[in-house]
Amino acid sequence: MFSVIIYGRNDSHGYNLHKRAAISFNALAEVMSDSHDEILFVDYNTPDDHPTFPEAIHDTLTEKAKKHMRILRVRPEQHAHLKSKTHLVALESQSRNVALRRSNPKNRWILYTNTDMLLLSRNEGESLSDILGALPDGFYQVPRFEIPEMLWEAAFDRKDPAGNLAKLRDWSMRFHLNQVVHNFMPMKYDALGDFQAVLRDDMFAIHGFDESMILGWHCDSNLAARLALYRGRVDTLMDKAFGYHCDHTRVAAANNKGRKTTMNSHDKYIWNVSSPYIPEQADSWGWPDVEIEEVRLDRDTSYERYTAGLSKSIEPATVPFTSTSCEWHLFDDLTYDLSHTLPFVCDQMLTYPRSTAVMVVGSRAEFVSRFATAWRGMGLTGPVLVPRECHLDLDHPAIETGRFADLLRRTDLFLFEFGLTTQKDGDPVRTGREASPTDRKQLKIVERLFRQAASTESATRPAGRRTPRRFVGVNVIYNKYWPIFTDYVGANINPFCSQVLAGFPLEVPVTMKEKILKFRKRTG
Amino acid sequence: MSKPSFLRSALEGASGLWQKRVRHPGFPDVDAADPERRGQALYRRGRYRMRAGEIEAALEDFERAIELLPDFAEAIASHAECLDMLGRSGPAKPEYEKARQLWAEDRGGTPDRSYVFRQQGRLTFEVESYELALKRIKTGSFPLSASGNALLARGKPEEALRFYEQGLKVKEKDPAILALKGEALSMLGRYRQAVDAFNASLNGNPRAPETLSGRAIAFAAMGRLDKANDDWRRQFSLLPETQSAARACVALRLADYEAALPELERAIEKSPDDPYWRLYRLTALKRLRRPLGAALPPRGVAAWPRPLFDLLAGLSAAGDVLAAATTEGRRAEVLFQMERFREVAERAPPAMIEYAAARNELSQRR
Repeated sequence: MFSVIIYGRNDSHGYNLHKRAAISFNALAEVMSDSHDEILFVDYNTPDDHPTFPEAIHDTLTEKAKKHMRILRVRPEQHAHLKSKTHLVALESQSRNVALRRSNPKNRWILYTNTDMLLLSRNEGESLSDILGALPDGFYQVPRFEIPEMLWEAAFDRKDPAGNLAKLRDWSMRFHLNQVVHNFMPMKYDALGDFQAVLRDDMFAIHGFDESMILGWHCDSNLAARLALYRGRVDTLMDKAFGYHCDHTRVAAANNKGRKTTMNSHDKYIWNVSSPYIPEQADSWGWPDVEIEEVRLDRDTSYERYTAGLSKSIEPATVPFTSTSCEWHLFDDLTYDLSHTLPFVCDQMLTYPRSTAVMVVGSRAEFVSRFATAWRGMGLTGPVLVPRECHLDLDHPAIETGRFADLLRRTDLFLFEFGLTTQKDGDPVRTGREASPTDRKQLKIVERLFRQAASTESATRPAGRRTPRRFVGVNVIYNKYWPIFTDYVGANINPFCSQVLAGFPLEVPVTMKEKILKFRKRTG
Repeated sequence: MSKPSFLRSALEGASGLWQKRVRHPGFPDVDAADPERRGQALYRRGRYRMRAGEIEAALEDFERAIELLPDFAEAIASHAECLDMLGRSGPAKPEYEKARQLWAEDRGGTPDRSYVFRQQGRLTFEVESYELALKRIKTGSFPLSASGNALLARGKPEEALRFYEQGLKVKEKDPAILALKGEALSMLGRYRQAVDAFNASLNGNPRAPETLSGRAIAFAAMGRLDKANDDWRRQFSLLPETQSAARACVALRLADYEAALPELERAIEKSPDDPYWRLYRLTALKRLRRPLGAALPPRGVAAWPRPLFDLLAGLSAAGDVLAAATTEGRRAEVLFQMERFREVAERAPPAMIEYAAARNELSQRR
């Protein structure tokens, strides 16, 4: 019957986003009663190493919300061509069009709203699917009412949408919440973007949202203007449903700078609209030829993939705990517990596209092969690229070997492991072991390839790639590879226990001169 | 008197010098003899009163407007809203529904033509709203285009044209407004000027299927069927496959039934309740000399075009069906089914599918 289209990213847009969004997702699912209904969330430009926003808050979503939700993930690389043209990190028109293109064609209606809205039918028990199912063709809006921050934050239970809607029904009368704010046509109501119900066919006919609107604001009004032209009339559904907005102005969102807010031109995009159509984007709106990943919360979840991958590559522990040490006298000992470390390495990988090609440069053959097993087990389909220069004798279906210089151009993600070639699984960890000549020879290779990859990263990207590639370092904390890795890669300070650092290459590696100056400053 | 209150009082007095007071608009047509004009004026006064918070008075105006014009959906919807505001939501609900139903029953233009012709209802609310917007928005073409469209949809091309001309002063050479101007001129029978406007529009945006349709209709009306067909063929190639109903209409205009048939089948799949897609499918089958099968309209179609289905099924005589056709358009539909193409080409409005199809049938015979 209908596809709800919303968008966002895994950040902190406005006050208490996580609660607002969970309340809203669950309430939207609550008013769905048709099996084809869907909530299309476009996760726009969340960093690759983060999960999507709904994944990050999945534990606060109801089973019904998870069942109806399809997450379409637009990667930073897919946004990169627009990055220099806008100050915004999430683009409304592009997001909504990506979802529209991929919406269920069986659904007659598209409902545009936002992640802080609750829709309440005026006839208790009537679903929005029932309401929209009985409607004649048209373009419908409902007035938006505000819920004071105190009310939704303090009194709503994220996982009880029916209870929340019942409270809202009561509050709306008790606290006089229902005030219709009329607006100039074609907007009909203020804040119209929180409920615009449109025929899917109409949206395709008018070429979706205007994708030249990349400065924020008025995308909804532009749509209203174009649909008002197309349909002639803007109809109301106020006899059927009310829309309630979780007010979140305690903290201004990123796109709200008061009077200094940058916006799309009001004149150009509302008062000078002369056609419903946008011929310039007739063939390109919604990026029809771009592969957009779809993530589900009700099946094949990240957690399921993660555990599947690890289960294939490590056995459960047989002792209550193991131990290691970060004492300084063990600085030169490069032993580490592979089974303990692998979960932290895989944690860095799971949010990347399944087709990612990862280059693994390592010392321990066992690390590489077990990582490759986990990689495939996690459902990642891209190759594990191992440079021939590593001289690792590996036979694994996921692994491809080749010249380092050739593989560089195919790599999306780098993984460098600095361990001891001679360490076997079960050997004691951080007990003062020294590197053997074989270990040192192999580590030199890894270090050389790391320096080369990190310092030439921007020059060796795959054709067409704009965004920098991430480097993951294994066994690079509290040992001699810690400064080496962080000379080239802007990594956070991580706990020793994880053994892993990750980040993007620094534009200019830290030089010896900088180090000397820093040392002199420290020693006075 | 304290200093601040003195200042305030002085400023309040002075502000009257430049602040315009809201003038009560006049509604001279509320006493007009013509029920349409009177009903519309009552509706407008009702809306004004509604905005002023005089809900009971507004209700009275809407009631009088509905009495005069029982199918005045805008007045019914506003009446419902007033009732709702007064807490009488129960009686309001069926009125909201009734308004929506009335709008839905208003059959719009065919999907291959300009979107303007698919707009339903009297659009009084919209025209009034845009008039209000025009008082504030001096540099925008939108309220002018929208007002023009509402008037054009209501069959007032001359008034619409004035709005489009004004719009073109704000947005010079705008292809969209030029195309609308072309439609208004075409409706006025000024086909040569219409073609000029469409040409100018297509110079700015050559890939505009609806503009091509407008120009094709004007060409056909001028007797330039070859040029009209070129435009329709180009329109057909530009329309995406998802717009099967529009593609079907274009193919029918070209009397290309082979191309129309699959499009009509897809259109029926999408809108099974629309009787015309079924009717045109039967027509295409008939023209292709293929068996029609059961010539049944969708369930619930009791009025027009039901007699045409009966005619195709052999259940009614052509003369009876022709007698039942009460408008010029319906007569053209019957005559087309009777294959009296010359009469259709001579009498039907040029914008009708049957007109173009009849012209092409005659041309193919030659």
